[in-house]
Amino acid sequence: MELIIPNTTEMWVNVVAFAVLFIVMWKFAFPPITKMLDERANKIRESLERAEETRVEAERLLEEYKVQMAEARAEATQVIEQGRKVAESMKTEILAKAKEEAEAEKAKAIEAIQAEKAAAMAEIKGEVADLSVAVAGKIIGSSLSKKDHEALIDKYLAEVGSLNEN
Amino acid sequence: MTEKIAELLHELSVRPFSEHAAFSLTNYTFWLIIAVVLLLVFVVVASRKARLVPSGVGNIAEAAVDFVRNGVCVDIMGPEGKKCFPFIGTMFFFVLFNNLLGNIPPALPGTGTVGTTFTWAIVVFLVYNGIGIKKIGFFRYIKALVPSGTPVFLAPLIFVIELISHFLRPFTLGVRLFANMYAGHIMLGVFTVFMALALEHFTATSAIVLPLSFLMSVILRAFEVFVAVLQAYIFTILTAVYINGAIHAEH
Repeated sequence: MELIIPNTTEMWVNVVAFAVLFIVMWKFAFPPITKMLDERANKIRESLERAEETRVEAERLLEEYKVQMAEARAEATQVIEQGRKVAESMKTEILAKAKEEAEAEKAKAIEAIQAEKAAAMAEIKGEVADLSVAVAGKIIGSSLSKKDHEALIDKYLAEVGSLNEN
Repeated sequence: MTEKIAELLHELSVRPFSEHAAFSLTNYTFWLIIAVVLLLVFVVVASRKARLVPSGVGNIAEAAVDFVRNGVCVDIMGPEGKKCFPFIGTMFFFVLFNNLLGNIPPALPGTGTVGTTFTWAIVVFLVYNGIGIKKIGFFRYIKALVPSGTPVFLAPLIFVIELISHFLRPFTLGVRLFANMYAGHIMLGVFTVFMALALEHFTATSAIVLPLSFLMSVILRAFEVFVAVLQAYIFTILTAVYINGAIHAEH
């Protein structure tokens, strides 16, 4: 039983011990430690918040860049498409023009050829007539009337013409 | 055997540390003062070393402070529990240092005597009731001993029971801590007595008793370190629970 009857000297020592300890702990020892613990907690919280903000910002920027990229790509495609269309239309135009020019050139050439041909024909016709008359005169010895001559020439020419056509 | 046990109990009983000292301390308070001085040195050094990036002794103090502040004060009393930390922290470190020092022979735990544990338990009693009375006034605090909604005819009985339970608190708080520390040292002492006896009268049984007792005292020493920390925690958490009850007396 004497075990649980406190000794008064011990109690007084403990009262003093408590008073000294409590004052030292409360006023000097604990404040720097708790202050620092709070500071650290705040710092960690702030760092985490800042990291989160940075992450959100980075994501936003990435999204923005993606949109810009897509826009740029679409624009590029559009420019290329437009260029192709322009080239295409230019090509058709140039081709048409060339064709037209070629056509005109050809027509002109044909015309020239025909004119030449007609001229040559006329010349040949004259030559052949004279020649025939001469030849015929020599062969027959008599002159054919002008009318006969012409009939002969036409016939001959028709023959030559048909040969020429072949 | 009996005389050795009697000697052990005498060794563990409260007695003057020195017959010659002018101010006669008891054996327990001598070690208590050493524990308090060690604690003061520890916390002052630790508080000087408080840095945002901790190191060395600062780490240990910080871990303990954080444990009591968040693990005990805030967990039990909510965010406002931080205001009670200086008091509860003092309790924790005092009990912890005394309990641990008692595990280093030849020291005795300052908490191994009722002179210490009752004094501190009475301080807790005065503080928690003081906080409750300061918060809502003496009469309302006394009235709040009876929970609202108690039938009128039961109220006097409940009041008496509550009053007794409150006045028993310092007693139970003190005895719990004292008995744990005292009993632990008796256990350690008993196995030491076994070893001493086995060596003194060396017989065939000594060959069994000696190593077993040695093994047990090693195991018990480790267990006592655990008990030292656990009892400091229990004393602290009960203090926090009592204060919390006083703050919310009317709920």
